[in-house]
Amino acid sequence: MTVELTVDKVSRAFGGVYAVRDVSLTVPAGELRAVIGPNGAGKSTLFALIGGQLAADTGTVALDGIRVERRPAHRRGIGVVFQTARVFHGMTAFENVMVGAHAVTRAGFLAAALRLPRHHRDERRIREKALTCLDRVGLADWADRPAEELPLGQQRSLQLARALCGEPRLLLLDEPASGLRAAEREHLATLITRLRTEGLTILLVEHDVAFVMRLADRITVLDLGRVIADGTPAEVRANPEVRTAYLGPETVRPSEPHPGVEGVAG
Amino acid sequence: MSGPVPPARGRGGTVNRWAIAVVAVLTLALPPLLPERHLATFVLLLLAATVTVGVSLLMGYAGQVSLGQASFYAIGAYAAALPAVHGVPSLLGLALAPVAAAVAAVLLGAPLLRLRGHHLAFATLAVQLILLSLLAQADWAGGAIGLQGIPRLTVLGVELRDLGYAYAAWLVLAAALLIARNIVDSRPGRALRAAATSETAAAASGVAIGRHRLAVFTLSAAMAGLAGGVYAFYLGYLSPGSFPVLLSIEFVVMAVVGGLGTIAGPVVGATVIILLVQVLNTLGTQPGMPDYAPSVLSYAVYAVLLIVCVLYLPRGLVPALRRTGRRPS
Ligand SMILES: Nc1ncnc2c1ncn2[C@@H]1O[C@H](COP(=O)(O)OP(=O)(O)OP(=O)(O)O)[C@@H](O)[C@H]1O
Ligand SMILES: [Mg+2]
Repeated sequence: MTVELTVDKVSRAFGGVYAVRDVSLTVPAGELRAVIGPNGAGKSTLFALIGGQLAADTGTVALDGIRVERRPAHRRGIGVVFQTARVFHGMTAFENVMVGAHAVTRAGFLAAALRLPRHHRDERRIREKALTCLDRVGLADWADRPAEELPLGQQRSLQLARALCGEPRLLLLDEPASGLRAAEREHLATLITRLRTEGLTILLVEHDVAFVMRLADRITVLDLGRVIADGTPAEVRANPEVRTAYLGPETVRPSEPHPGVEGVAG
Repeated sequence: MSGPVPPARGRGGTVNRWAIAVVAVLTLALPPLLPERHLATFVLLLLAATVTVGVSLLMGYAGQVSLGQASFYAIGAYAAALPAVHGVPSLLGLALAPVAAAVAAVLLGAPLLRLRGHHLAFATLAVQLILLSLLAQADWAGGAIGLQGIPRLTVLGVELRDLGYAYAAWLVLAAALLIARNIVDSRPGRALRAAATSETAAAASGVAIGRHRLAVFTLSAAMAGLAGGVYAFYLGYLSPGSFPVLLSIEFVVMAVVGGLGTIAGPVVGATVIILLVQVLNTLGTQPGMPDYAPSVLSYAVYAVLLIVCVLYLPRGLVPALRRTGRRPS
């Protein structure tokens, strides 16, 4: 269950200013594509256009050739880790991940109200899935804690567990590693690599260049809402335009801490 | 996988179970001991609590407010009474009550729940005002004078007397509570609770938010409708005046005072408010008080209660009591 993502000439403006302008990219099924660029480049906006949180002004988004830009987010089958952690308050970490299984289960109000067999069947499945996913992101010990009490980094991981629980066809990760400690980043890197090996198509936004270079099959570079480069990590690293716009002569932005140390929230 | 699958909500399971059993036994034992006047209060309390269970689900779990819940109470009451007046078996009329209210909720809610914020609150309030004026015009429903001669509820050939209604209302409330509890801890219930704090993330998780909100709105209307049905047979008389906007506000106040997002909240809220209203009515009908005293007093008390609640008990009585109870340990 994996898809090819095709974004074609997508634009979105806010108050006359383009956040994303004429962006086209194709991510083959099973690829791990990184999207990088300076703050305000339009990375999160692009993700929102793909995920359905925002409507595009123009352009199309297709999964395996089927256009989805008019579909509401809940019918796109895309898992999302939002840059600003959006966890469900007043619910435990475990319950948060259980919500992730919504897309792949069916029991409705009637089944729930009357505790029909379908409810019990789904509930068992949801719990098992949620536990597996929570475990995969290393949050099993946090299961019964209210989600909003988790540190921000862990809230991001919680979002990842929730997204995985819905068996997405495409995964959008917007700075999933920020706020995590070095060891936790390593764990996350390993997990992302494994997800890719399992065949998931993944888009990753991350400011930690070393992290990105290590994981990505290809990298798309955005600046001022436009794609300024697209290629393998080595090609992108060597691209002079990318160096001026984003990477800087030292391959690392001056404002960023050294890769692999503490991450910063974007 | 590591270890056994944890329960979704493991807190205080056995304590709760005992508390519920005790309350159930006490409330079942109470009706025969009550004088007739207080028995009426008891029945109305249980019916109000039933409506409030729905309001609380809607407000606490779906983040929506209905300021016209009494209209579903009214729709249920008339839907049960009208056929019964024309000779349809009363139990069938009672079964129609929640269905009619639910259908009305779907028709009203489908276009509304797409909208955000307080649209539902205003729309439900408007619907109630419209319904009240329509009912006042509708001669076939008794018009402003009201619908009289509603037969008593007959269950298995036995005509219910006052005590019977106390137990009927008890069953209706118990059913509403059970359904609410079942919903909260289920796939659709979690989806609703999730959407209440982040619509974006809930939608990204595959939740069709509008559909879920419509469903819980419909469910809350059905609960109000069923309570309305019992109410119609109990009183034997209905008029538009029995369902003022004040009643809708009363349900909201009960839900807020009791504590949104709790199962016991509606019962506690309804009990507190009904008892308070009793005291106020006694005060307001003292000799020398003006005609409008009872209703002015109730409005004032609702206002004060809401403000006190928002200021000092933002989460309502039940969560506050729970916290106090836990403190010594
Ligand atoms: N909802 C919005 N309303 C108005 N402007 C917006 C909105 N969302 C994004 N923008 C603007 O669009 C531009 C792109 O923002 P976006 O968040 O997509 O950048 P980004 O590449 O994700 O940046 P960062 O690295 O800081 O996360 C910015 O100039 C931002 O101010
Ligand atoms: Mg961003």
